Amino acid sequence: MSSDFSTVDQLANAMTFHRERHAVLAGNVANVDTPGYRPYDITQHEAEGGQLELASPEGAALQPGAEPGAAYSKTFDDGGNLAGPDGNAVSMERELAKMDANRTRYATAAELVSRRMAMLKYAAGDGSGG
Amino acid sequence: MSTDFFTAMEVSASGLSAQRTRMNVAASNLANAQTTQAAGGGPYKRRDVVLASEDLPNTGEMSGVVKGVMVSQIQQDQSPPRLEYDPGHPQANAQGYVAYPNINPVEEMVDMITASRAYEAGVTSMSSAVNMAEKALSIGK
Repeated sequence: MSSDFSTVDQLANAMTFHRERHAVLAGNVANVDTPGYRPYDITQHEAEGGQLELASPEGAALQPGAEPGAAYSKTFDDGGNLAGPDGNAVSMERELAKMDANRTRYATAAELVSRRMAMLKYAAGDGSGG
Repeated sequence: MSTDFFTAMEVSASGLSAQRTRMNVAASNLANAQTTQAAGGGPYKRRDVVLASEDLPNTGEMSGVVKGVMVSQIQQDQSPPRLEYDPGHPQANAQGYVAYPNINPVEEMVDMITASRAYEAGVTSMSSAVNMAEKALSIGK
């Protein structure tokens, strides 16, 4: 039986992942004019070893046994065809779009944690709303 | 813990500082577009900023993926000076030509615009990090 806090733990893992991904995307934006720079991105592994599509924060959170920082695989961005004359393959629009989506997922996970905690608080207070 | 929000902000800050350097150099090139006698003799030579990515310390398992940026060198453009016929100019050579810097103001303006856009992108990415941190801090409120 899972504890009442397992949802919170899983959401916390998702938040850690999105926080780290933000640092990676920020690095891509910082290197928008660096010759030869290839943009990075990270994904989370599914338990079976496949790549998990991070369509939703729940998807990232509900994988079993996710350890923050442990399950990430380094991946090159698919910006291969975009490389300019100096070998830089960063597309600023793409990176900013990914960053915005990532930030929204993070905010969603944070909101879900808040609501879960509010529910537990409600239950602990015998439904008195405290 | 491999990275935190301060890592993301450090990365963005490195980008902002690199773009500011580009802006300074472009402004210096523009200001010196007519400088016929620079230090070391001859006309002013156009400067160009070369950026390089750098690994940040203490990023743990994220090292090699989280990259900052730094100015690796500011090099001089070695293309030949622009010659203009002006026999009355004190710097004119025996044939009456004056060597002006190898600077194209339009090119410098374009450089300034791209630097400015990249700076804005860096500011956006930094405020994203701040926004995320605020969301985390508001849990339980």
